[in-house]
Amino acid sequence: MTPCARCDSPLEAGDLRCAVCALTVPVEAAPAPVERARILRCTWCNAAVEFDPAHQAPACAFCRSVMTIEQPHDPVETARAYVAFGVPRELATSAAKSWLARRGWFAPATLHDEAVLESLTPVYWPAWLVDARAHVTWTADSDAGSRRSKWAPHAGETDVRFDRIVVPASRGLSEREAEALAPHYDLDDTRVLADADVQVEGFDAQRSAARAIVGEAITERARTAIEDEIPGSRYRNVHVACLVEALTTDRVALPAWVLAYRFRGAPYRAIVHGQRHDVVIGTSPIDWGKVARVAGIVLAAVAVIALIYFGRR
Amino acid sequence: MHRVLACEQCGAELTASGVRTVRCPYCASPSVVERPAAAERTDPRFVVAFTGDASGARGSLDRWLGSRHWFADPKLRRAREARAGERVIEDLRGIYVPAYLYSAVAHADYSASIAEHYHEKEERTKPDGTTETRTITRTEYRLLSGRHVSYVTDVVVSASRGLSHRELAAIEPYDFRALRRYDAALVSGWLAEEFARSFDECQTASRREALDEVGARLRRFMPGDGFSDLDWHAQISWESLDPVFVPVWMFAVRYRDDRPPLRVAINGQTGRIAGKVPLSWPRVVAALIVLAAIALAVWWGLR
Repeated sequence: MTPCARCDSPLEAGDLRCAVCALTVPVEAAPAPVERARILRCTWCNAAVEFDPAHQAPACAFCRSVMTIEQPHDPVETARAYVAFGVPRELATSAAKSWLARRGWFAPATLHDEAVLESLTPVYWPAWLVDARAHVTWTADSDAGSRRSKWAPHAGETDVRFDRIVVPASRGLSEREAEALAPHYDLDDTRVLADADVQVEGFDAQRSAARAIVGEAITERARTAIEDEIPGSRYRNVHVACLVEALTTDRVALPAWVLAYRFRGAPYRAIVHGQRHDVVIGTSPIDWGKVARVAGIVLAAVAVIALIYFGRR
Repeated sequence: MHRVLACEQCGAELTASGVRTVRCPYCASPSVVERPAAAERTDPRFVVAFTGDASGARGSLDRWLGSRHWFADPKLRRAREARAGERVIEDLRGIYVPAYLYSAVAHADYSASIAEHYHEKEERTKPDGTTETRTITRTEYRLLSGRHVSYVTDVVVSASRGLSHRELAAIEPYDFRALRRYDAALVSGWLAEEFARSFDECQTASRREALDEVGARLRRFMPGDGFSDLDWHAQISWESLDPVFVPVWMFAVRYRDDRPPLRVAINGQTGRIAGKVPLSWPRVVAALIVLAAIALAVWWGLR
């Protein structure tokens, strides 16, 4: 199909309007012959039918049989390519174990020894790869050129190119987990088929919802991208408005190892990157006794300092 | 089989295949006449289909009227009670209302005075001779000019004679992701109004609404602690305008012959409801007097 005339984004079959700029897609076929009246009759009992909101299709009032008509084409999407696993199971296990050993000060001292590894499951999580151009106009306050106030207003415009931005589409991973994993994938190392016995998380969003998420992500990235354009060293009140053009989306599945473990009966999980064993993100238990002791010590120290300070006055 | 029902009161022209009506769904006027369809008529390009049935709309209408029951005109209350007894049948009708869906690209040049606050310490000598310092917030204004670009999408203007643009705006928005290509099957068994406003008229109205939207965006776009003298000029390009049917449940009751009908519109996709209930002024005044009396009593009690 030819791309959208207004914003140059590709259109897909079944699109009525462009997903990026909402321009109406021209009808490709010749207009249907004008039909002034059309009586719909039930194919079963030959009674006149009416559109039934419950079925989103015409239904016969007498025998409730439903006619099929053209539905809005809004499929749930699937991944086009699978990024290859680079971390085998043994490496993922040892990465998870050493991550548990490095859980920091507030983690229970016995975490590494007592944690029960329940499962280490390979999964593919879904993401969109987005290319786009955007003409971005922005305003912000910054310290450059300020007079009596700390802030001076600035405005500008710039063109930004987005090249293979990873926008997470996973519901299984939290936003924090997906954001931590996303930058570290080698997106050229792909397979057409998923590895056997690896769980594949599907794209849960329909095409229209997916495009809305991608559109928001692009505006959010545009905001980050223009931060370099703002003069001065500090800024606030950043506003962006942009025209997104030639937005293309590709769907990929990204590899990860999901570690489920238990510590004293409570479940926790950690994600090991599927291509980089040094990227691990997850949750771990906190030793509240330790936290309370530290808080007590800090409070006591503050109290002593306060006593000394006020005692001298 | 195809015919047009014309309301002699409000002028709405409705097409109805397989539907009979003796009252205009917009104004509850009984003077509806049947006419042959005009040869030249606009067909919608898209349809937003109804997503709920009449019982759902009826439920939200009853809740809405119920919450306004107390101060409503007594004749209306009686009409409502009659409705509860199901003596009135033909009052809530689903109609496909003609409208135009508009989108465009807007390039705006703006200039404004941006307010930036700063703080100053001021020393002041009190009457008893001691000095105190206090911080005062002052504002300096800086000139800013620049450009703002955006797509303006999903602007809808009514092309209906029965439902004004303002009444339609009150029950927007519609989710246009559920847009479908027009097919007679999608509106079969439902009332649909003919397009009553011209393309040009609707384009002008849409453009005005798009410019209002650009203005609202620009006000949110301004940095600083405030602004004044916002001056802008927008260029609109790449306009597109498509005729579309949007679903609306209309509830119209003539409760008095000398007054316009009570009209309530419900968004047939989202269930958003809007309308005006005629008030019974004696009741409103009585309630205000009671409130004032309570306030006075409390005041006296506290003294």
